Amino acid sequence: MTRKLLEVTGLNKHFGGLHAVKDLNFDLFEGDKSAIIGPNGAGKTTVFNLLTGYHRVDSGRIIFDETDITNWPSHEIAKAGISRAFQISNIFLTLSVFENVRSAVQAQMGKAFDIFGRADRIGIKEADNILDLCGLAVKRTVMAGELSQGDKKKLELAIALAGKPNLLLLDEPTAGMSLEETRETMALVDHLNEEFNLTTLFTEHDMTVVFNHARKVTVLHRGEIIVEGAPDEVRMNKTAQRIYLGEHK
Amino acid sequence: MPADFGSVLIQLLSGLSRAMMLFLVSCGLSLIFGVMNILNFAHATLWLVAGYLTYTLFQFFTAIFGDSGLLLIPAIILATGAMFALGWVLERVLIRRMYAREVPEQLLLTFALILIFSDSIKLIWGVENRRIFLPIEPIEMLDSYVNPYIFVIIAVGCGVAAGLWWFLHRTRYGKIVRAAVYNRDMVSALGIRISTIFAGVFALGVGTAALSAGVFLPIMPIGLGIDMDLIIQCFAVVVIGGFGSILGTFVASLIVGVVYAFSILIWPNGALAIIFLILVVVVIWRPWGLFGTEMRY
Amino acid sequence: MTSSFNKNKYKGLITDLYHRVGLSGPVAVVLGLCFLLLPLLPGEFPVIVGVEILILGLFAMSFNLIYGYMGQISFGHAAYFGLGAYGTALLFRAFQGGTGEIGYFDFFLSLLVAIPVSAVGALLVGFFCVRLTGVYFAIFSLAFGELIFYVVFSWYSFTGGDNGVQGLLPPPFFQNTVNYYYFTLTIVAVAIALLWRITRSPFGYTLRMLRDNQQRASFLGINVRMCMLMNFVIAGSFAGVAGALWGPFQRSVSPGLLGWVESGLPVFMTLIGGAGFFAGPMVGSVVYTILSSYVTMFTVYWPLTIGFIILILVLFVPGGLLFLIDSRIVNLRNRRQSDKDLGSVSYGGQGENQ
Repeated sequence: MTRKLLEVTGLNKHFGGLHAVKDLNFDLFEGDKSAIIGPNGAGKTTVFNLLTGYHRVDSGRIIFDETDITNWPSHEIAKAGISRAFQISNIFLTLSVFENVRSAVQAQMGKAFDIFGRADRIGIKEADNILDLCGLAVKRTVMAGELSQGDKKKLELAIALAGKPNLLLLDEPTAGMSLEETRETMALVDHLNEEFNLTTLFTEHDMTVVFNHARKVTVLHRGEIIVEGAPDEVRMNKTAQRIYLGEHK
Repeated sequence: MPADFGSVLIQLLSGLSRAMMLFLVSCGLSLIFGVMNILNFAHATLWLVAGYLTYTLFQFFTAIFGDSGLLLIPAIILATGAMFALGWVLERVLIRRMYAREVPEQLLLTFALILIFSDSIKLIWGVENRRIFLPIEPIEMLDSYVNPYIFVIIAVGCGVAAGLWWFLHRTRYGKIVRAAVYNRDMVSALGIRISTIFAGVFALGVGTAALSAGVFLPIMPIGLGIDMDLIIQCFAVVVIGGFGSILGTFVASLIVGVVYAFSILIWPNGALAIIFLILVVVVIWRPWGLFGTEMRY
Repeated sequence: MTSSFNKNKYKGLITDLYHRVGLSGPVAVVLGLCFLLLPLLPGEFPVIVGVEILILGLFAMSFNLIYGYMGQISFGHAAYFGLGAYGTALLFRAFQGGTGEIGYFDFFLSLLVAIPVSAVGALLVGFFCVRLTGVYFAIFSLAFGELIFYVVFSWYSFTGGDNGVQGLLPPPFFQNTVNYYYFTLTIVAVAIALLWRITRSPFGYTLRMLRDNQQRASFLGINVRMCMLMNFVIAGSFAGVAGALWGPFQRSVSPGLLGWVESGLPVFMTLIGGAGFFAGPMVGSVVYTILSSYVTMFTVYWPLTIGFIILILVLFVPGGLLFLIDSRIVNLRNRRQSDKDLGSVSYGGQGENQ
């Protein structure tokens, strides 16, 4: 009934001598809210990079929404419906908060190359909606470079949402956030997933966030999946514990 | 069409000597960019200044001590030393302020230096070309007459290449420089005075270029405008070879130098076009050059 | 009493314009008035300088599309200025035939041809340049610019090589300097209006995205290369328009118009005026052209002079004149970033609205 949105088979990636991702097989179904966890260097960000076209795969297939998107250029993958929020906020520093989101909205609407239209008439409503959703409405006119760290992460998410994705990839969405900000952000993620059936995949180091919000957890270690399943299953798993002992409390 | 080995040999030797000269100029450019991430647009212009300086010193020495080609040696040494010092000063006074700036502003600064130095050349030396004539007998090789000075150039080029390699790979200072290419912050975190390294690298780069200008004087006249031709060739070399890699610069210099020399036989005006073709191919296939590290945009 | 009321109304208009559009608004008004009234000054010299300012100003503004709005620096932009100039010149000469005279229709046609010629040049070079950014983009734009210069310089049979193309006498009406001046002013004004529209279009904001974060833009579905190429061609075309006007004015064109020295002009002008402002390059053109006309009366070492000026500017005032003025205004009014318009062109300074 729920269809498979993402199917990754036999994914491999080498960086010089380092085998960063090894024969990865991974599935996501529509409406999933899953987490990928693992110690530093496990390959989480590499997987995201491969999924979004930032790196070429050495071998394997990525099938998204029944389309083979393996090795597609980044912008094509984005247009296909995969959106990504970055770990270190990757925003447009000299544009205002509003303009950051509006420009992303206009790109999603296919208007990026429109030289004849008027930018101040395109995507206003959508951008404002997203800003409201992300709690940034009050900071609308502030230049992005002047935002606090937490607000930058919020903007990061807002921009990713502007792409109207079918799959949202969040790279450590709560890194550097206060307890309150973490709560807000993950509440938003939950809301988006429940209200709009937005398939979400995130990486995290904060285990509280993972176990409170993910419905499925995948543990990655040295490029391979060690264990996969519901949060409680994973938490009880001996191998997973061994990997994490010393990494987290 | 080259029917005889003689003209091929001449072109080959000419190409090799040009390659050596290109290498000496370009490796400074490559090193400076590799370590400090600054593209010194004015590099060839400084080369030109060195050439004029060497010429003047040579004239000065021959005026005092009489006509001897060997006087070129102290002239080159002095000029190179002076340019090394100039490079050091430039880095400390100007370049240093640009590290934290955006790329276009850095480029603008070194572009302004082109104007300042090339017009200064005009101010001090005037518009005429300069050339040094060394009394050397051409020697006969394979039915053609070859200027043996070319071998001096090739020897100097290889010597400096070897010296640089030894410096970078076998001395402590040099290893620090190489480390700085990869990770500047780490090096300074190790407690090493990065500022001295930067000044040294810049001065070294300018000094190597200066050396090549002096050494090449007997072969080629220098004049206003040569610096712009040269900087384009240097860019080609550094892009093809890869920024920060001495080996890459050496190989690329050989390629560019020999291509230039041989295209004169086949397609006289096409040298630049062929170089461009190679450039384009390299950029599309391996954007960071044949031997470079992954590009930092 | 009525006069003070009018003054307030105008003051209100200016401030309103400033708030709606940024500093470029009032600057454009002031410059526009000056340009309109320039021929009232005595003698022909001011008008001649005026034409140069306008043409080079358009050239510089086309450059700023690539630099201030998209964040890349092109050191070979004169190639398209020169291609436009040569395109016009060669067709011009063809129309002249043996008589040395050209009709009005043919004159306008030869001006128009500059656009496709420069656009094609920009397309060919841009195809390679847009695969790169930063330093590499700068190097390649310079190198290709020089290549184009070299081709034009060497192709003696077609372009006249070193000699260039001479004897470009416009039709009688345009031989009068003041007439040509107003003609140039009209064309430049139209071109600038188009440029303004482009910077306010969605495409204009895509450019700003590329300037700030190319990588993120591509993750948002934007084909970065295609966007850069399109901008490169547009910028090249506007440079070509400027070039077209140059030839008939100077009565000749020469290969120097394509070289790296000429390529430096828009860069300097943009730096002087301020890359972060739409009107920056034109302001820079005014300052630069007047300065160079003045200084070259006293010394031949103009490159040395401008070299030092650029050095000082880059080190201490990288935001340009308009940035200096604008930050004074900001300090004066302690203005909050208001919700005027949709974002900023900014380089070397804080976000200022345009």
